[in-house]
Amino acid sequence: MGKSEIYVVGGGAAGMAAAIEAARAGAKVTVIDENEQPGGQLFKQIHKFFGSGVHRAGTRGVQIGRDLLKEAEEAGVKTRLNTVAYGIYPGKRLGLICGDHTEEPASPIIILATGASENALAFPGWTLPGVMGAGATQTLININRVLPGRRALMVGAGNVGLIVTYQLLQAGADVAAIVEGLPYIGGYGVHASKVRRAGVPILTSHTVLRAEGDETVERAVIAQMDEKWQPVVDTEEVLEVDTICLAVGLSPLAELAWMAGCRFSYLPALGGWVPVHDENMESSLQGIYVAGDLAGIEEASTAMEEGRLAGLSAAEALGHLSVEVAEARKIEVRERLAALRIGSFGDGRAIAKRELLRAR
Amino acid sequence: MKNDDLVICRCEEVTQADIKEVINQGVTTMNEVKRLTRAGMGLCQGKTCGRLVAGILSGETNQPLQELKPSTSRAPTRVLPLGTLSKTTQDDD
Amino acid sequence: MRIEDHPILGKTERRERITLKVDGAAVPAFEGEAIAAALIASGRRVFRYTAKRREPRGVFCALGRCTDCMMIVNGQPNVRTCVTPARDGMVIQTQVGRRGGEATHDLETENS
Repeated sequence: MGKSEIYVVGGGAAGMAAAIEAARAGAKVTVIDENEQPGGQLFKQIHKFFGSGVHRAGTRGVQIGRDLLKEAEEAGVKTRLNTVAYGIYPGKRLGLICGDHTEEPASPIIILATGASENALAFPGWTLPGVMGAGATQTLININRVLPGRRALMVGAGNVGLIVTYQLLQAGADVAAIVEGLPYIGGYGVHASKVRRAGVPILTSHTVLRAEGDETVERAVIAQMDEKWQPVVDTEEVLEVDTICLAVGLSPLAELAWMAGCRFSYLPALGGWVPVHDENMESSLQGIYVAGDLAGIEEASTAMEEGRLAGLSAAEALGHLSVEVAEARKIEVRERLAALRIGSFGDGRAIAKRELLRAR
Repeated sequence: MKNDDLVICRCEEVTQADIKEVINQGVTTMNEVKRLTRAGMGLCQGKTCGRLVAGILSGETNQPLQELKPSTSRAPTRVLPLGTLSKTTQDDD
Repeated sequence: MRIEDHPILGKTERRERITLKVDGAAVPAFEGEAIAAALIASGRRVFRYTAKRREPRGVFCALGRCTDCMMIVNGQPNVRTCVTPARDGMVIQTQVGRRGGEATHDLETENS
């Protein structure tokens, strides 16, 4: 088969899109993924995506995941599953755990598409079984097909909190309430309405004070907060729940990028510390590209487009695409990315992304 | 439970009090907090507690978050059974 | 509780029925599913007790990152049950501490 020219770390939306694009241009691509099957978070997304037709509006994440897998196979992308990247060394050498041994392949180009991890919120009782990430809840319901509990408290009214609340209800669980620390709902109105119509109260300026229970969560105590983020006296309420889901944001999973020596910028609008990159998705290090949530927390649609951009740029850098052909295609992708970063939700990300580009 | 008894690093069971104590002793960086309390040295290598520690450090020392780079990432970033390292291939194919 | 018929995902495809031995008790499972899924379906939420404070932990991230769901599987400690497939006859024990040990109701008898 020949040596891989491009190693893509992470087989989620961004990684697969990058691999497909590069492989179609003629590059030899290997995708590394720690899971049993690639697709990243897509297989947890059972709701229909928004956006235009080109962004597969009306399609569920699960289907997009399946489509990507098929396209990757057809393009000749090599996938190594159950393989974990534990390090990255000078010379673009990766450290991989492959079952019972490790490997350290080097390649001219590495595309990091390692995604994001859920943020934590610490409060007394947060280590009790029953407290988990909202994404974890989603994994249990949509992939493992088990209910984590019977009655949940959702912490966070961003898109993840709203969507997972709805998915809990669809799966047959009860949600006592959503508490959101900010005085407004961060997620899309359409999700919030769905949840409210289903009878779940969304309590803004509220927080969870503590979780209680003997060995597992049995109750949650919530309270209203004042402008100084202090609990308001006499607003404590005890909710009988056995599950508390934390939907308090995502942060890029950037250890490999840090280890490689990439330069980072701190941009709260994109999830915190984000590796800087140029308009080709190349990091501050030659030959190392970044794409997807790693390059800033956005959505699956932007992840796929960034992946395409990285894949095209990598293929061009290797000589598989002429500058003219590559540039024409990249312009199309960049236009689609810009179209995804508009409106009250997209603006903040668009601004942050421009800052990220400038920082390189 | 007093709030400072709150576990911050779940893997190593390092509490808010433990972290505040080393900060009181003069620690100002994420690396030092990690080295002295072991927060971030456990099996998850700081994936869960990193931001929480940064928040505490920021609050206690008045350093804005953008000045607190995460503690140094060193390989391995994942749990690696000792036996596997002795069977490393550098074969690039 | 298992989700058998989901409004969007449809009927859950089932693989072969198997049996796990968890702290001595037989627990039903499906071949290849995450061990944690079978345990949660059987009503169990405490997977291990921590080394220092002997506090209960269960599934937290469900992705294999946080390591809170670790149990002793076929004698091997620190197995992340949320990403490890269940196989027939697996012997699973509540892990106490880091290197593992038999958990009993009387935690003083565990070896660490």
